[in-house]
Amino acid sequence: MTETTISRGNTLPRIRPWLGIAAAASFVVASVMALFWAPTDAVQGNVYRILYVHVPLAWLAYLAFVIVFLASVGWLWTKNPVFDAIAVSSAEIGVLFTGLFLVAGSIWAKPTWGVWWTWEPRLVTTAIMFVMYVGYLLLRGLSTDFSRRATRAAVFGIVAVIDVPIVHLSVLWANSLHQLPTVLRAGGAPALDSSMLLTLMVSLGAYTLIYAYFMTARVSLERARQVRLWTI
Amino acid sequence: MLEQIGARRLLLIAALGVAVLVGTVAATNLQSDAVYYMTPTEVYAKTVRTGQTIRLGGLVEVGSLTSQPAGRPGQNEFEFIITDGNAKVRVLAQGAIPGLLREGAGAVVEGSFAADATFIATQVIAKHDEVYTAPTAGATPAHRTAP
Repeated sequence: MTETTISRGNTLPRIRPWLGIAAAASFVVASVMALFWAPTDAVQGNVYRILYVHVPLAWLAYLAFVIVFLASVGWLWTKNPVFDAIAVSSAEIGVLFTGLFLVAGSIWAKPTWGVWWTWEPRLVTTAIMFVMYVGYLLLRGLSTDFSRRATRAAVFGIVAVIDVPIVHLSVLWANSLHQLPTVLRAGGAPALDSSMLLTLMVSLGAYTLIYAYFMTARVSLERARQVRLWTI
Repeated sequence: MLEQIGARRLLLIAALGVAVLVGTVAATNLQSDAVYYMTPTEVYAKTVRTGQTIRLGGLVEVGSLTSQPAGRPGQNEFEFIITDGNAKVRVLAQGAIPGLLREGAGAVVEGSFAADATFIATQVIAKHDEVYTAPTAGATPAHRTAP
C-alpha cells in the first residue's frame, strides 16, 4: 500500500482535539437538558430520562455496526487496510455502546417494568447482537496473518449486520414487552413532546460526536499498529 | 470468468447472499412461534393445562385492579383482570401492586392457571407504551398501552 500517511500528518490528528472538545461540551449540554430542562413524563415521571442515554447509544450502536458492514465490504472490494482499521474500531465502539445501552435499559426496566431482564424479543435480539460482535472481535484473534484475519472478519461483519434491523423490527414482528418505536416508525410523527424530541436530538448529536472522536483515535491507533506489525 | 470477477469479489457476493438468507430465515421465524406472551383469546383457543407455566399479556381492565381480592381475605395479594378486548382472565398475584401497573394500561403476567380458571401469577410486569408526554395539570394522559 502507499507509505503511511501517519508520519506525514493528515487532517485527522489536527481536528481530533476540536472534535473532543465539541463532544465533551455537547455531552454536558445534552446531560443538563436531559436531567433538568426536559419535562417529566406523565406516565413514568422522572425515571424516563434514561431515554436520553439509552436511545442515542442504541442508535449509534446500530450505526457503528452498519459502518462495520460498509468497511467490511470495502476491505473485500479494495484490500485497503484502512477499511479493516475502520471495521475493528467501529466494532469495538459498537460493542461498548451496546453493553452500555443494555445496562441503561436494565436500569430503566426495574422501576418501570418491575424486572431487570426478561427474555422478550427486543432484549433477546439485542443480546444476540452483542454476543455476535463480541464474537467478531474474538474472531480476529484467530490469525496473525493480516489479510486472512481481515477477510475472515469482513465476511463475519457482513453477515452479522443482519441482526441490526431485526433488533429494531423485533417489537413490530412479535408480542413484546418493550414498547414500539417512538421515533423510528412508519406511521406518524415521533411520539414525544417537542421539548423531549429536541433534548433527544441534542443527546444524539452529543453521542455521535463521542463516537466520531473515539473512531478517529482508534482508527489512527490501528493504522499505526498495522504499519508497525505488518508494514502496510 | 472467475479470474475476471476475482475470488475476493466472489467471496463478497457469497457473504451478501448468506446475509440475505440468514435475514429471511430469521424474519420468518420471528413472526411465528417464538411467542413471548399469549393474549387471553389465544389462551382460550389453545388448550392450556392447569399448572402449565405461560405468559399472558393484555390490558388491565378498568375498575378491576384491587389489593383486596374477593373471597381471599388476609392474604397479601392483589388481583386484576387482563383483557384483550375480546376475552378476559382474572389474575391473582402476591405482594404489593407494582408502581407502574395501571388500569387501562398494559401488563404481562407469568404463571399458571388454577383449577378455577384464575391465573395465579408469579411475576407481574407493567407495560408502558411508546408515547411520552409532559404532564398536564395532573390529568391522566390520553394514550394507553396496546397489548
